[in-house]
Amino acid sequence: MGSSIPIPSTSIIEILSMAIAALWSNKLRTALTMLGVIIGITAVIAVTSVGQGVQLATEARLLGLGADILQVQAGAAKSGNISQAAGSATTLTWSDAQAIKSQVLAADQVTAYLQQTAQVVYEQNNLSTTVLGTDIHYAEVNNIGLQAGRFFTQDELEAAESVVVLGPTVRDELFGVGGNAIGAKIRIQGQRYRVVGVAEVKGTRGRSNPDEQVYAPLTNISARLVGDNALSGIAVQGIAVKVEKQEQLEAINFQIANLLRVRHNIHPARGDEDDFQISTAADLVATLTSTLELFTVMVVAIAGISLIVGGIGIANIMLVSVVERTREIGIRKAVGATDQAILNQFLVEAIAIAAAGGLVGVGLGLAISFIAASLFNFPLVISLWSIVLGVGLSFVTGVVAGVIPARSAAQLDPIIALRSD
Amino acid sequence: MVAMIWMKDIHKTYRLGEVETPVLKGVDLTIEEGEYVAIMGASGSGKSTLMNIVGCLDRPTSGHYVLEGQNLAGFNKDALAYIRSQRIGFVFQQFNLLARSTALENVMLPMIYAGAPKAQRRRRAEETLIRVGLGDRMSNRPSQLSGGQQQRVAIARALINRPALLLADEPTGALDSQTSQTVMDLLSDLNQQGITIVIVTHEPDIAAQTHRTIQVTDGLIVQDSAIPTDRAKHTTSPCI
Repeated sequence: MGSSIPIPSTSIIEILSMAIAALWSNKLRTALTMLGVIIGITAVIAVTSVGQGVQLATEARLLGLGADILQVQAGAAKSGNISQAAGSATTLTWSDAQAIKSQVLAADQVTAYLQQTAQVVYEQNNLSTTVLGTDIHYAEVNNIGLQAGRFFTQDELEAAESVVVLGPTVRDELFGVGGNAIGAKIRIQGQRYRVVGVAEVKGTRGRSNPDEQVYAPLTNISARLVGDNALSGIAVQGIAVKVEKQEQLEAINFQIANLLRVRHNIHPARGDEDDFQISTAADLVATLTSTLELFTVMVVAIAGISLIVGGIGIANIMLVSVVERTREIGIRKAVGATDQAILNQFLVEAIAIAAAGGLVGVGLGLAISFIAASLFNFPLVISLWSIVLGVGLSFVTGVVAGVIPARSAAQLDPIIALRSD
Repeated sequence: MVAMIWMKDIHKTYRLGEVETPVLKGVDLTIEEGEYVAIMGASGSGKSTLMNIVGCLDRPTSGHYVLEGQNLAGFNKDALAYIRSQRIGFVFQQFNLLARSTALENVMLPMIYAGAPKAQRRRRAEETLIRVGLGDRMSNRPSQLSGGQQQRVAIARALINRPALLLADEPTGALDSQTSQTVMDLLSDLNQQGITIVIVTHEPDIAAQTHRTIQVTDGLIVQDSAIPTDRAKHTTSPCI
């Protein structure tokens, strides 16, 4: 009999406008209640956005080193049980590089290098910079173009001639910005060198800045600045191998490792450890990505805790609100509100608090990302996914927080509710 | 003719743990359409409980209640809420207006729950406020209105869904005698326009302004001015 009556349901728009009016009449409390959700969502948005921006920037920088380049570094020398930085030991030689070139067929270009910090002087100008001894393939492997002059030749390399190519910053320091350096005589650690070329601007990549380097024949640097060791040949700190296809990186990595183990008489089966390290830009990116992911997971977990705390805060305030508004609930029921209409009203209030907090959080998070991106110079990444997640999470928080208070409001007996003060 | 209210052997017993407190002990009551009735009784006599059952805010423990020919026995809470929304208007001693809402918003409230469109709500609320003489106070909040004005807003709210029955629980209890009289005059006017009105009061001079007085004592109707016997009897049939 009761079910035959067509009971109208109160429209959600009516309920929403009632909820907003109730929240608006108590602005300070509403704002404070939102705070937990605001903090949580701000953290989610800012961290995911900044994290992705930093990752993108660093990836670009690392891949600028060359995605198709494999770095072999001397090292993992052990002093006692303490691993030292790769490249710190002189376990690689130029002949290792030549062996890789001749025996690893897929290795497109191979170049060996040796670095030395040295004082570079031209007339009254001088600066301390990195002098890089290498072979003629270095420029090609590392995509170093020339803005003036030429790179040194194979003949100059074999003859260990004292010729140098300057990085643009070095040229600017010694000869003035854009000055003509070709043919000039400079001194490196007191030795005379003739400038044959100036490299193009490349910008910082990874830890080193190629614009601040000076390039000279490996043979010359080894003999005059480092000092040859006749027994081991020309020691180098690193060998860079450029491959034709990136898919070959794994295979070539394996071949080079095997070749070097044979040449260095290393038997892993015997428990020997490699005296070299092979890495690719992709390895570095992967390491970085996993670090950033861990960081993101941690911050999102903290944000999750903040949302739970925020949700408890909303539930708490809604319970107080139900008690305070008992008489209002009684009035509404007396004039025809169904239990469902009362339930919806309080549930919508809780959702409105949380969702508004979520929207404010999204705005704040984006603002923080924007400021961080412009301050620290990385691309601003706004991921729609994180915004949807943020708003969705705050909505769910509101629903969960609102259910218990809304049910207690809906179940109030109108007679008792009307009698309350 | 179908009675507005037909009650037969209504009992209401409150249970608190093991203790049962009977409040209504077998009330028979018939009120015809268009009547103007006062229910009198001392505090604790059961008159408020009777009023709550008449107003579908509460359900009897046993007995039959037929409202406008409709037996409410099987009605669930939602159905009773719908009856309150459509057929019954309430006026309370403490006015019970929403403090944060204007007079107009308070009057429109029952229409929201009746599912009426906004334009219609506004138009009818304005008409009703004019009808109770508050055409110039529509956007005032309760705190900006006198007690008599607040009670007239409450009466307008009770009338907004054009109910068949207006229930007033001590409608003048919080008002001074002069203001009380304006409220009583308004109720009298409404009754003359055909609305059935039932007032709960303990003031004899208020009861005297109605057309029929029912005395409730200790959970029973002991006197009914419509029936010259000690125990009231119903005279009309509940259904056609």
